[in-house]
Amino acid sequence: MNDPKSVLIIDDDPDFVRAIRHLFEFAGYQVSEASNGREGLAQAKTLRPDLILLDVMMQERTEGFFTLERIREVPALQSTPVIVISSIYSDHPVFRVNPEAGWLPADLFLPKPVDPERLMAESARLTAPDYAGRVLVDEGSASR
Amino acid sequence: VTVPPAFAQAEARGGAQATHRTPETMRVFVIDDDEVMLLSCRRILEKAGYQVETFGNGHNGLRRLEEVRPQLLLVDLKMPEIDGFQVIDHVRRLDPAIVIAVLTGYATIANAIEAMKAGAYDFLPKPFTPDELRLLVNRGCERWQLAAESARLRREKEEAERRFITFVTHQLKSPVVAVKQYLDVLLFGVKGDLSPQAVEWLSRSQARLGEMLDMIEDWLMLSRVERGALSEPGANTDLGEITSHMVESAGSQADSTGVTVRTVLAPGVRINGDAVSVGVLVSNLVTNAIKYNRPNGSVDVNVSSAGGMGVLEVRDTGIGIPEEALPGLFHEFHRIRSDATRDIPGTGLGLAICKKIVGELGGTIDVSSRVGEGTSFVVRFQLAPHDEATRPATSPGETA
Repeated sequence: MNDPKSVLIIDDDPDFVRAIRHLFEFAGYQVSEASNGREGLAQAKTLRPDLILLDVMMQERTEGFFTLERIREVPALQSTPVIVISSIYSDHPVFRVNPEAGWLPADLFLPKPVDPERLMAESARLTAPDYAGRVLVDEGSASR
Repeated sequence: VTVPPAFAQAEARGGAQATHRTPETMRVFVIDDDEVMLLSCRRILEKAGYQVETFGNGHNGLRRLEEVRPQLLLVDLKMPEIDGFQVIDHVRRLDPAIVIAVLTGYATIANAIEAMKAGAYDFLPKPFTPDELRLLVNRGCERWQLAAESARLRREKEEAERRFITFVTHQLKSPVVAVKQYLDVLLFGVKGDLSPQAVEWLSRSQARLGEMLDMIEDWLMLSRVERGALSEPGANTDLGEITSHMVESAGSQADSTGVTVRTVLAPGVRINGDAVSVGVLVSNLVTNAIKYNRPNGSVDVNVSSAGGMGVLEVRDTGIGIPEEALPGLFHEFHRIRSDATRDIPGTGLGLAICKKIVGELGGTIDVSSRVGEGTSFVVRFQLAPHDEATRPATSPGETA
């Protein structure tokens, strides 16, 4: 049997974390959680999860954005898939955020509340061995 | 130093504290090619407490304006090289907050009126007495203060609105999101452990909370449109392309209701309007046409150009709108209550948003309908000028 996949949830809403934790545990993931950016970054460094779920709008309005930047500065976390989740994103077609737009180094954006079926399908896709990594378009970097 | 009456008045009103200025902090520029005129203006105004700078020609005055901005500018109309009109034109573009008054000889009253039309606030015929000059300058400075004060209030109001919207988004949305998330997970994962009635009630709760979130979203959208924070001025969009994109996005909604969406989209219809505003508008009309349709009905979406306008038509085979409900159709929170609509969730804001966007883009929206047969919305947009047709507009998906 393969080692279970691990996911780190960084979000300051304990109810949201509880609900999402349940989903991942049910699917056999090892779940850890952090309620702020600083703690999240520290855990990401030591645990090196297979997947990170990050709310970009926590107590401090820009906390999530900076946390993601910090995560990407850690060499071991540069290609860790990150799903950015936030209620500031609307699922209206004109507001859907395209991660390839390049302004935030995330692999996927999902609006909150998340559709469990979609979240689990995307999580499986992003943590599969054949996932090629997010498309890098900023500063003309070569895509992986 | 005597306080000019205008300032004493402002003081007495007790308001305007934030921008209240005494003459000492009021800077007046005088541009005139008559040295004697400059000297006497300086003497009179400095005595009244103003900071005065004088310039013998337009060049020097405009150069100094690049470094420091006065509250008030007095300018002679007839000067060699750069005349008063050119100075006024330049200053209006540089900083519309600067109050301009014109000094002019009797013979050129007609010119003075032209200058007022060009953006000067007041004029003083030469020759004038010291009292007349002081009065003009006091009035000009008071004008500046009122404008500055109202600009400050407007900024504060906008800031308060923005803060309120942020507050609503976070404080009101967060708990609803958390509760809905529990229900989503519960109904996705552990339904089997629940009684059928519990599942049914939880599903209803989930749906109602979804309606509430839609309401918050639509309300935020409406307030964005009202504040002009949605549209990007000057942009243009390919109406057919954006429509095709929005129809595609509505595909799953159409599939689940068995409604067929047909499109006839003329290529190259570029209209005035940004992709986000137009996208929201098209999307609202298309999803409405699917939502208020009959099972296995159809929606026709056509884009064309006719009569010098870009035309979008969205026609459905749905339940239709009673004639008496048509006048209020685009009002906020207007929902038609009937047996046919009872089970269709909606916020009552979708068409109000459409109407506001259409207004913002300088277009028109018309509706015609027959109960039981269907409804047709026709939106007419201004075509983009040809020379701008190559300017790229924001494409959907790139905007947060």
